[in-house]
Amino acid sequence: MAATGTLTIPQKSKMDAVLVLRIAIIASLLVFWQLLSMSGLLYEDVVPGLPQITAGLYRLLTTTEFYVNLKVTAGEILAASLIGGLTGMIAGLSLGGSYFMERAFERYFYYLGPTPKIIFFPLMIMWFGVGSGSKVAMGAVSCFFPVALAVAAGMRRIPPILIRVGESFRANRWQMLTKVHLPAMREPVVNGFRLGFGVALIGVLLAETKLSNQGLGFLVIQNYQRFDMPGMYALLIAIFVIAVAVNAALGRLSRGGRRR
Amino acid sequence: MNDMIRPEQIAQPPVTAPEPMLVIDHVTKRFETPDGPVVAVDNISLTVGRGEFVSIIGPSGCGKSTLFNLVGGLLSISDGTIRIDGEAINGPHKSIGMVFQEDATFPWRTVIDNVAFPLELQGMAKGERLERARHFVSLVGLHGFEKRYPAELSGGMRQRVSIARTLAAEPKLLLMDEPFAALDEQTRLLLGDKVLQIQQELNQTVLLITHNITEAVQLSDRVLIMTYRPGRTKRIALIELPRPRTSEMLSSDTFGRYVAEVWADLREEASRGMQDAERGSR
Ligand SMILES: Nc1ncnc2c1ncn2[C@@H]1O[C@H](COP(=O)(O)OP(=O)(O)O)[C@@H](O)[C@H]1O
Ligand SMILES: [Mg+2]
Repeated sequence: MAATGTLTIPQKSKMDAVLVLRIAIIASLLVFWQLLSMSGLLYEDVVPGLPQITAGLYRLLTTTEFYVNLKVTAGEILAASLIGGLTGMIAGLSLGGSYFMERAFERYFYYLGPTPKIIFFPLMIMWFGVGSGSKVAMGAVSCFFPVALAVAAGMRRIPPILIRVGESFRANRWQMLTKVHLPAMREPVVNGFRLGFGVALIGVLLAETKLSNQGLGFLVIQNYQRFDMPGMYALLIAIFVIAVAVNAALGRLSRGGRRR
Repeated sequence: MNDMIRPEQIAQPPVTAPEPMLVIDHVTKRFETPDGPVVAVDNISLTVGRGEFVSIIGPSGCGKSTLFNLVGGLLSISDGTIRIDGEAINGPHKSIGMVFQEDATFPWRTVIDNVAFPLELQGMAKGERLERARHFVSLVGLHGFEKRYPAELSGGMRQRVSIARTLAAEPKLLLMDEPFAALDEQTRLLLGDKVLQIQQELNQTVLLITHNITEAVQLSDRVLIMTYRPGRTKRIALIELPRPRTSEMLSSDTFGRYVAEVWADLREEASRGMQDAERGSR
């Protein structure tokens, strides 16, 4: 215990230094932005000053329009992550659990994984309509591949001895899955889900900017077409903050529970 | 497990000779490798009676772990049969508990949850299984470490967690593959005493794989000495030392004689194994 105590102190002061550096970087970026805006090198409409952006942020967060569209987008991302994550997990488990499946299919996952899914968007619109359906489909397809590949890789990295222990205690299939396989690959799986969530978010927002009448992606494009730059920047900041917050929460989930 | 008496059992005449706990009947295991088949276990037969403690000793690489996995039902048999309680096995038998040679603790479970694992599989209620797990954690000398994770323990402590986990299931047939190899000498002796004590209490049948002669003689009723490549039976030595046995009898003359006797047989095989290893490394 004493050893951990002496270990945490330097770590904590290092954390403080990191925090100071981060704040310094953000502050200097803001200053640079304001200077750029005032310099007149670029149109002030394209690079609005900090006061205009702050005003835009205030406007954004006080209108119901933002929350209505946020809810639509959040719902789409959630549905996409659930569908893509679940199917990806099932695909990953069967790829990782069977040498035959791996030989037969895995290479296609590696080919399709990095392909930009937006090229499938016209198809999605034809299949699922211009509403939320096509956005969810885009997100789900994006989410599917990283989750499947992470689960398959995680499954193969399980030490075989732990599987033999489960077998020797006569665990049934369900017990093997829930008490040996999944906990043993928790970290790669959660990281896969994080990645999957990230690309689901990209997929949904991208689809919304292409063709839609609701959602945050639609709002961004609407602001752009109205040439409301402060409103657009405010929206970008809001989306960025939300994405960072969700990612941090997921990161906590992957580390939490187990001490190393 | 099933204590109910069925009608057909009443009608049957009483069984005269009880079926031995474990019968290894002319068992051979071949591994198919790219360089052709490797015979790891060659035509081994052994019968272990109920409550008996039998050790299998042999040089490294002679096929001990292979035999252990065959009896545990984790490997398929190439030729011959293995019967437990009269049933030919195909897969892990319900009467068996295995302690593996490798570190086999679940890193995501605390010590107590590792030990409670088999009880959890059986569906035992939480309070009951934790109480029972706590008992077995203390038994292997890990009291106070219940809430620790395996990563926080030494290799020897982790091996004790594995032993406690298997003992907690109270198997009728205990199989152990070099369970004490990672332990220091003192812990090894004390834990050997503990295992013997539990064996007596539960009238367990034990098959112990080891490469430690002292350990084999100290604990066993019989010691099967294996040859090096292919793994065959060289001899089965009968150890007629009085029970209960403790590590205190290690210094007696009879004990020394048994050790010397086993070593005489093992020596030849061990030196063959060593020559093989040298040839391989060149
Ligand atoms: N899965 C396997 N495939 C091929 N050969 C194996 C396999 N497992 C064990 N062997 C071989 O069988 C022999 C006996 O191995 P093992 O049973 O682990 O020996 P021991 O436990 O006595 O040290 C060794 O020569 C080893 O190389
Ligand atoms: Mg071995």
